[in-house]
Amino acid sequence: MEYLIHLAILFAIYGILGLSLNLVVGYTGLLSVTHAAFYGIGAYATAILLTSLGVNFFVSVLAAIIVSAVIAFLIGLILSKFDDDYYALASFGFNIIIFSVFLNWRELTRGPLGIPGIGKPSFGISNFQFLISNNLEFLILALLFLGLIYFISRFIVKSSFGRILKAIREDEKAIQIFGYHTLYYKLAIFVISAAMASVAGSLFASYITFIDPSSFWLMESIFILAIVILGGLSNLKGSLLGALFLILLPEALRFVGMPNDIAAQMRQVIYGAILILLMLYRPQGLAGEYKL
Amino acid sequence: MDILPQLVLNSIIAGAIYAMVALGFNLIYGATKFFNLTHGVIAVIGAYAFLFFGKTLGLNLFLSVFIGVATAAIAGYGLDKLIYLPLRKRKASNMALLIASLGAFTALQAVIAILFTSQFQTLWRNYSTQKIYEIYGGVITQTQLIILISGILITAALVLSLKYTLFGKMVRAVSDDEEAAKIIGINTNKIISRVFIIGSAIAGLAGILIGFDTGIEPTMGMSLLLKGVIVSVIGGVGNIYGGFLGAFLLGFAENFGIWKISGEWKDAIAFALLIIFLLFRPRGIMKK
Amino acid sequence: MKILQTKNLTKRFDGVKAVDGFSIDIEKGKITGIIGPNGSGKTTLVNLLSGMVGIDGGIVIVDDALKLSNIKPYDILSYGITRTFQEARLFNQMTVLDNVLAVLTERNVFGALFEKHNDYHLGKAKEALEKVSLWEKRNELAANLSYGQRKLLEIARAISTQAEIYLLDEPFAGLFPEIIKTVSVIIKNLKQEGKTVILIEHNMEIIRELCDYAIVMDSGKLLAEGKPEEVLRKKEVVEAYLGE
Repeated sequence: MEYLIHLAILFAIYGILGLSLNLVVGYTGLLSVTHAAFYGIGAYATAILLTSLGVNFFVSVLAAIIVSAVIAFLIGLILSKFDDDYYALASFGFNIIIFSVFLNWRELTRGPLGIPGIGKPSFGISNFQFLISNNLEFLILALLFLGLIYFISRFIVKSSFGRILKAIREDEKAIQIFGYHTLYYKLAIFVISAAMASVAGSLFASYITFIDPSSFWLMESIFILAIVILGGLSNLKGSLLGALFLILLPEALRFVGMPNDIAAQMRQVIYGAILILLMLYRPQGLAGEYKL
Repeated sequence: MDILPQLVLNSIIAGAIYAMVALGFNLIYGATKFFNLTHGVIAVIGAYAFLFFGKTLGLNLFLSVFIGVATAAIAGYGLDKLIYLPLRKRKASNMALLIASLGAFTALQAVIAILFTSQFQTLWRNYSTQKIYEIYGGVITQTQLIILISGILITAALVLSLKYTLFGKMVRAVSDDEEAAKIIGINTNKIISRVFIIGSAIAGLAGILIGFDTGIEPTMGMSLLLKGVIVSVIGGVGNIYGGFLGAFLLGFAENFGIWKISGEWKDAIAFALLIIFLLFRPRGIMKK
Repeated sequence: MKILQTKNLTKRFDGVKAVDGFSIDIEKGKITGIIGPNGSGKTTLVNLLSGMVGIDGGIVIVDDALKLSNIKPYDILSYGITRTFQEARLFNQMTVLDNVLAVLTERNVFGALFEKHNDYHLGKAKEALEKVSLWEKRNELAANLSYGQRKLLEIARAISTQAEIYLLDEPFAGLFPEIIKTVSVIIKNLKQEGKTVILIEHNMEIIRELCDYAIVMDSGKLLAEGKPEEVLRKKEVVEAYLGE
């Protein structure tokens, strides 16, 4: 049972990551491989604030969002100068640059040693204190966040703003002709998406209680991309499906009796193979709405 | 002051390696117009193939090199035939190709790690010292000399064949305008297939040489790809001469900058430079 | 009244002048045809006027007041200009209705996020789509439309903006006679509403029937201009076309 709760929490976290990346890749058509960087910024911000300053978890989430948003704004601004191939390449680059910061800026992040002892979320109003003390309570919190992010994503997607994003994906120049400053739209969604990823990072940090740079490297971005594409671009429920599927996959591997030392590599092989097979045979993913 | 000649030598050697990687990358990009993200991993495949046949099985040196290069070439051919060609036929978007190549890169890198472990390995069978030559006050090992010579020879061979052979002309035709090439009767898919073979073979050779020079590990594919891309962008993507020039520029920049910049930040700095370069001079140094 | 003017407009591609010192006046409320052999620079001209490519030399004057040497695509609607493309550039994976609604909404990012879709927008979309008989197909994906329907949707999208100046790049190319009639009617109605239409077209019949004025381009330069009948009889014009 504990194990199921664990999987469910992971599902919530990766669900948030999948939803937020889908907004950028699926709806707006920007192939961003930077996502793990914002996930990491959220995690590190929460980790640092909780361990060194004893800040309340929820406040740290807010702070993390602000940091992510600012950095995403700058990165988004630079990325907007590129299109297609170069965009993917440059976003690849930013992921690596930020990962390098996590790894090498020892004074801030303790580098490869990571940050241990991250506390659990709590909040208090005068005499009433509520501390998340077990995983079930954490799961409920995580699901609440997932629900909130889903709701926000849905609102965005169904709005006129969402329609412009799709138009940008279909033909950016054509929608510009009609008076839309596509740069602002792309920047806005990139920042929003990064803020959401940062929330996932904060949750992750508090749940696992110990983080180090290895959770936020390039392969993580590719994993999140696989979730989005598997689930189906431009379909929110698809991203949740994709997250579910790819969380359960390692479990299935374990069931089959895959030895642990190559398990990590095997997962990578499968994620890679999934991306290839999807592109070849079912680019619209599970949800089947948008064909790449 | 007398590290200067050594630095220059090191720069040239690094440049020669990067030139080989970029050569294959540029060749493939020219013909297919997409960033083949698997290029780095193909070099690694060549290196590990040599490791298996040359070191583990102990086969003859030259035979093993040949097998290594051939394996890389076959890998490249396979990727094109099984993945990129079907996608091109379906008129898939560039995004689909990029994602597929991302997937292939991820999967192949992991397969190599599974088969050969993630440990760093060298390609020398025995650890006896290599022959060393002195040039103008700098020292160069036999391997490095081979790297330099092969780099120059291969580039020259490629440039000449592109210019003067029929095949070379067809490759240029496809690179300039695939549709037009099809119209005048060129079997573009066959040409692209050959380009993959050649480009991958060169990458495989580069991988083997790097293995001899500094050693190999499964994740070095990404670093190589990065270097290949930086060089291509600096020189102008798709431009063979530019790639050559860019390679040596990068070699010099790295070696002359390396005292001051700690090794850990190397990749990040390389990417930062790439991005800055892309912002201000996306066409590369050479005008087409 | 001269609603649009170009003075010495120039555009170079790789050293070749696609548009060369082009100076022309467009009368408000008239239908002006731009004709010329292939490669004469017609599409480049329209691309310059709609900000799709940058101006290398010369200026564009809108409404006899606004002097522009640098046109950005997202500004042209504010100058009163809209356009269609020769190969319909639709939002393929969106519905017919969404294709039109997309261009009717708030331009501002926050506005677009919180905009409530009111009947006003839906009404304008319906009006435009009904003119091209695509309202029944409003939930169809644009990718699934026939060639003719795609061109009609292009036009519907443009007219829904209720702009002043319409740059239409070969709107009749490849269409069946019935659809040609529909498009002709739409263009004539635009004129009746006082709008200005600039039409790139190859079909001489259509030029004769629809246009009040014709401009002939050749190798990026102005070859001739005047009433369609006169212009089409001019020796230089005939030669330019025979040469192609």
